[in-house]
Amino acid sequence: MAAIAFTPRIQRPPLPLFSTPKTPKPKTRVSLQPSSSSSSSTSQLAYDPFVHQLAESLDDSLASSSSSSSLQSLRDSSVQTVLSTPWPTRKDEPFRFTDTSFIKNSQITPISRPPSLPTTPDDTQFPSLDIVDGFLVNLSNLGELPNGVYVGSLLELSDETILKRVSEFLSSSSQGDLFWSINGIGAPDLTVVYVPAGCRVENHVYLRYIGNEGGDIGSHKLPLSNPRVLVLVEKGGEIGVIEEFLGGGGDKAYWVNSVLEVVVGEGGKVRHSYVQNQSVNAAHIKWTSVRQESASTYELVEISTGGKLSRHNLHVQQLGPDTITELSTLHLSAGDQTQDLHSSIVLDHPRGYSRQLHKCIVSHSEGKAVFDGNVKVNRYAQQTDGGQLTRSLLLAPRATVNVKPNLQIIADDVKCSHGAAISDLEETQLFYFLARGISLEAARRALVYSFGAEVIEGLPYPWIKTKVESQIKELLEGSS
Amino acid sequence: MALSLFHHPSLTLPSPPPQPSPPSLRPSPSTSLQFTLPAPRPLLLLRSSRPNRLHSSLRAGLSSAVDSPPQTSGGQPEKKLILQVKDLTAVIAESKQQILKGVNLTVYEGEVHAVMGKNGSGKSTFAKVLVGHPDYEVTGGSVVFKGQDLLEMEADERSLAGLFMSFQSPVEIPGVSNINFLRMAYNAKREKLGLPELGVFEFYAYLYPKLELVNMKTDFLDRNVNEGFSGGEKKRNEILQLAVLGAELALLDEIDSGLDVDAFQDVAKAVNGLLTPTNSVLLITHYLRLLQFIKPTCIHIMENGKIVKTGDISLAEALEKDGYEAIAKSH
Repeated sequence: MAAIAFTPRIQRPPLPLFSTPKTPKPKTRVSLQPSSSSSSSTSQLAYDPFVHQLAESLDDSLASSSSSSSLQSLRDSSVQTVLSTPWPTRKDEPFRFTDTSFIKNSQITPISRPPSLPTTPDDTQFPSLDIVDGFLVNLSNLGELPNGVYVGSLLELSDETILKRVSEFLSSSSQGDLFWSINGIGAPDLTVVYVPAGCRVENHVYLRYIGNEGGDIGSHKLPLSNPRVLVLVEKGGEIGVIEEFLGGGGDKAYWVNSVLEVVVGEGGKVRHSYVQNQSVNAAHIKWTSVRQESASTYELVEISTGGKLSRHNLHVQQLGPDTITELSTLHLSAGDQTQDLHSSIVLDHPRGYSRQLHKCIVSHSEGKAVFDGNVKVNRYAQQTDGGQLTRSLLLAPRATVNVKPNLQIIADDVKCSHGAAISDLEETQLFYFLARGISLEAARRALVYSFGAEVIEGLPYPWIKTKVESQIKELLEGSS
Repeated sequence: MALSLFHHPSLTLPSPPPQPSPPSLRPSPSTSLQFTLPAPRPLLLLRSSRPNRLHSSLRAGLSSAVDSPPQTSGGQPEKKLILQVKDLTAVIAESKQQILKGVNLTVYEGEVHAVMGKNGSGKSTFAKVLVGHPDYEVTGGSVVFKGQDLLEMEADERSLAGLFMSFQSPVEIPGVSNINFLRMAYNAKREKLGLPELGVFEFYAYLYPKLELVNMKTDFLDRNVNEGFSGGEKKRNEILQLAVLGAELALLDEIDSGLDVDAFQDVAKAVNGLLTPTNSVLLITHYLRLLQFIKPTCIHIMENGKIVKTGDISLAEALEKDGYEAIAKSH
């Protein structure tokens, strides 16, 4: 165990078990001492030994791997943030309805090396990357990409201009939370998807995240991986990205703490599909941080069905006028699961267009869904056209959904709307099915399925639509 | 007008009913609601309650929209009793307000009955109660459908048994396409009969001629059920479902309301096309016009939750001329 200096004032609570890798301490280690700057008093007050321990074990685990200087500076700033951020409790508003204790009570072991097992090749024709346990292990079909496009690891990136651009965005921004910073410390690599100006990439880039290493049920082990991706689209560029989070099989327990940063240049377009189907014992925490320059378009389709705890933090920052933002998300809690979407759209420039549709289905008594949809239409965001709609379907007794749509509008010449509805299936529609001889179970299945279909329709390719459809059918049948 | 697509005498010909049926089918001149039955009739009732008879009649009901059943020739066929309603009383489930106050009705196979009456007399409620709508609760009486106790059956069981109701205002079901809905319903019926389900293409082949029957284009199949449909399209969709599923007894609740002249023609033609000697129709309507297209065997006037008068087409003509008051006075 590393020796850490504590100030005598703070009582040392019983610490959870950590297993640090048995590598010798390298010389280049980030100092984990609270800095002696003026912020030391505040950092001491928010000092959380658990977080401190976690940060240290992450740092130890990465000590042996190579890292670039840009990643190192990211790590440094993330550590500073982490030292003054406690683990969230139910008393903190962003986690009021989301219980993260199962992560905190587990034995968290950062995964320090890429897996040695061969990964199953995917059979799509798309440029694809496999990120297993946070490590980029497999790249295929990249030859089809147009000139100037870079898809791969930061460590392999040699082009100076792209490197320079990437470093501009690598510093930890202020709007993250503890988990954002943990990823900043623990990410072993950065996967870069770079699209030069004016370049339209036809095929979507397919990122497959696989949680391979996992603890068996009952072992309380929770291997932690921190995949990190940056999508940087220059002025006028266009690309689609499909992220698919899968479990390695066997319902193992693990924690995937992933970050995706998207920068869309002026007039650029990014179509983002995010499918989450991790193990039902896994924790999945993801940050998607999007910055939109003027006249750019960002479209998101999200289908989240897996994980014991799945939390998506989505932040869209408008950096110029005339942007288009379309978000369409479907969450399904078919078991003892919590599906959480905390989204935030910040508009500071005029004539932005944003539409958000969030649908969630809770079909199990122990299932929970949480939605916090924040939209800030600030002073200079005049003539904004914003809409948000959330619809939840509660299909089992004691199924719970906590919905908090919130629009904070300061500008006075805007068109904004929001709506929320929570219901069971409609009686009149069910009866119509019955009156035609279709059984109640078949009718319920058809109506629940069609509820989700509106979001699933937004996925870009038939193969992924079919995959998701059959996944959802299976889950709904299992829980009913 | 009276277009029968299956080239066999049906009830729609303007001449006197061509079936060699026993005289008891003609409504008796008195206001009694029960038809007088000749002695052999009770035997028929017994026969119709045998299980295999039910099975074969289901099949006949299913195919009735497609094949023409063999023409009966020679001796008198005993007309099967399809529906027998005795003293049916019902209330609105929520408020317990009584709507039906003792309805009596008997329908034999091959007959077309019309129910007319003022708004609020209970005509739609009667149809909805027969079909098992959850908004209503039966408080008394009995309903026997093809020898089975209808009130004991769930709504989907009643439909599978051969009872169809076309809704006055069909509900929209966004997210479920017409073709999927029809296929689900049709396969449910096939499953009941022990037949294998039809796949998408086979079903489409079965469906295509039905579309012609109701004069609808194939593009409507991909639209969601009743979503964005005009009044006429909704009604034609109901008839299409009837054509696809088939039924021994079809309850058509104001199938003519809200239709323009062309849509009206299409619907009337389609309904006539579906009539056979083995299935029956109960038409709920306000207007004589539909009854000039679809010739009824008899007409019932419903008032205040009960059937108060029964007659033939002349009753409807009198109604058209003098209104409900005049009819009420004469009984």
